[in-house]
Amino acid sequence: MHGPVSEVIQFIDLNAYSIVFLFIVGFIGGLVSGFIGSGGAFVLTPGMMSLGVPGTVAVASNMCHKFPKALVGAIKRYKYGQVDIKLGLIMGLFAEIGVQAGVVLQRHILEKWGQAGSNLYVSFIFVLVLVVVGLFVMRDAVKMKNSVSEVPAPTLAKRLQQIELWPMLTFKTANLRISMWFLVPVALATGMLAATIAVGGFIGVPGLMYIIGATSIVASATELVIAFVMGLGGTLVWAYYGTVDIRLTMLILAGSLFGVQLGAIGTTYVKEYMIKYVMATIMLIVAVSRFFAIPRYLNELQVTSLSPGSVVIMNQLSFGIMCFALLVGAGIILVNLFKARSLEKSMVLQEG
Amino acid sequence: MGRKNTNSLPVTAAGENTGVGVASQSPRPRKTPFILVVTRHGHMGEPVMNYAVNVAERLKYAIFAVHVNTLPFFCDGGRRNRLFASAMEESTAQLMEMARAKGVLVEHLGESGKIGRVVKRLCHSERHIEFVIVDQGIAKEEVATQSPVPVFGVIYTSAKPGQIHTATHHITIKKGVSGMSTTSRKRHMKNCFVFGALTVGLYAAVFSSQSVVMTYFTKGGLYTILPVALVFAVSYVHGNFTSAFWSALGIEGSQATVKKEAEIRKEAPVAADIRKDTRPRAQVSV
Repeated sequence: MHGPVSEVIQFIDLNAYSIVFLFIVGFIGGLVSGFIGSGGAFVLTPGMMSLGVPGTVAVASNMCHKFPKALVGAIKRYKYGQVDIKLGLIMGLFAEIGVQAGVVLQRHILEKWGQAGSNLYVSFIFVLVLVVVGLFVMRDAVKMKNSVSEVPAPTLAKRLQQIELWPMLTFKTANLRISMWFLVPVALATGMLAATIAVGGFIGVPGLMYIIGATSIVASATELVIAFVMGLGGTLVWAYYGTVDIRLTMLILAGSLFGVQLGAIGTTYVKEYMIKYVMATIMLIVAVSRFFAIPRYLNELQVTSLSPGSVVIMNQLSFGIMCFALLVGAGIILVNLFKARSLEKSMVLQEG
Repeated sequence: MGRKNTNSLPVTAAGENTGVGVASQSPRPRKTPFILVVTRHGHMGEPVMNYAVNVAERLKYAIFAVHVNTLPFFCDGGRRNRLFASAMEESTAQLMEMARAKGVLVEHLGESGKIGRVVKRLCHSERHIEFVIVDQGIAKEEVATQSPVPVFGVIYTSAKPGQIHTATHHITIKKGVSGMSTTSRKRHMKNCFVFGALTVGLYAAVFSSQSVVMTYFTKGGLYTILPVALVFAVSYVHGNFTSAFWSALGIEGSQATVKKEAEIRKEAPVAADIRKDTRPRAQVSV
């Protein structure tokens, strides 16, 4: 991922379609990222590639748009008192190490099993992580929604917080104290997943909630700081090799900064379980999408023998479902945001 | 903001300071407790005056009525200030009439500036203020944070003029279009236009010279700094623009949630238990 780019890079010519496409996808992605802390950018890389952008340029430009978006989202949510900067920076630092470890692992797999093997590994990890974590988060969200009393902090997080293992770290905004040794694995896993499937937040946010013990609001807000640190590190490497197409980055940013602000505003209106609910929904739909991408790699590895036509259809279906996941997430956020706003407005009118 | 004299007031005969009007002709006893009644309107709400006079009569307190002009430098050639002063005169005369009927002592003052600061200053002045009553239109939280004495609000509606409710702490939920003041919306509109123009300028500069930009921005090496610096600039300019854009449309974070979260965090102890001091101590029983 961060290796030297030897081939001559071809940058695309922009037209009205690609500009509008990038703006809209940027907006929807930003909306989801501002709300759940991450997960809004995974459609962009395949989306840009569908416009004819080379893979490396798509990944680099996507990475370059992620960190300013995360920065703006983090600042917005910091104003709402939701961000634990210290937690985010420490996690971000170790997550960056995780990214490098993930890159090494990817290279190793690439050397051993070739491109198709590597892709199969990525898709397999994608489906496994998204299904397991997504189902867990969804179960928790449903439990929270149906619960009349306040749901207690996760048992695992509570137990880990009680273990006094030097060095103990205190996080005021997240209102927790935990040993650094429990933070590091979560951060490394976040980084490794980011290097593998480009969305570290699918591990980072649940990790912060269920292992570290932060609330979903603080976890999703702090994830933006982690994404900023990781994104900045990644961008510096990609930009060093001259693979960032700044025009694409700016077009995505044009839409995503509108979205990230709105997503951040949305977190102040909805209940805690809603963040988990949106995240789990997106994760599970994306898992289905990746499932449809697996037959292509199995075919390339000659494990299966599907016709090229059905492989193409499955690929298109996979991309379509991925877009659908993002649209569903954005839809839930917008509907809940405006519903909660109108409810509060009517309450104000009644009081006045 | 400084004190504003009320020399134009009709009743100033027994005032101690310039600008203080007193209803009663007899000098007030040295330690008379006062109820501070504050309004930001030219005309104090009638239910507020009624309530203040009734409570003052029952408790045998005096009333210290204060009209605070919160926009003394409003740019309209002084028209607002003149209207405020004449409305204040009428309102004070009405209050004094009510108070005279019940035998309640009233002192009056016209002030300007921030209400919280005015209340704080007056509470620390020579008058013995027991509590504060604020008229509608004043954020009780703002006054309560600065006032050393309790603050009460009188809520009334024009539909039911006789109905008066008092509350020691009234939270006004301000959000979105319904709660945003004209000044803050103006500020957001201004920011929206300023940062919007800057964003358009930045994008126009990059896209009008695409070939030059792409040549230098993809050179790599030391030129790495160029794309990174540019996206930082975009995030600042465009980030401020998008923030002001949603605010100008009235789409802002729910203040109720934000305040509640801040309060919970403030009150909640840090998860870590503070180690108990087990050292022996000498204890004295009286």
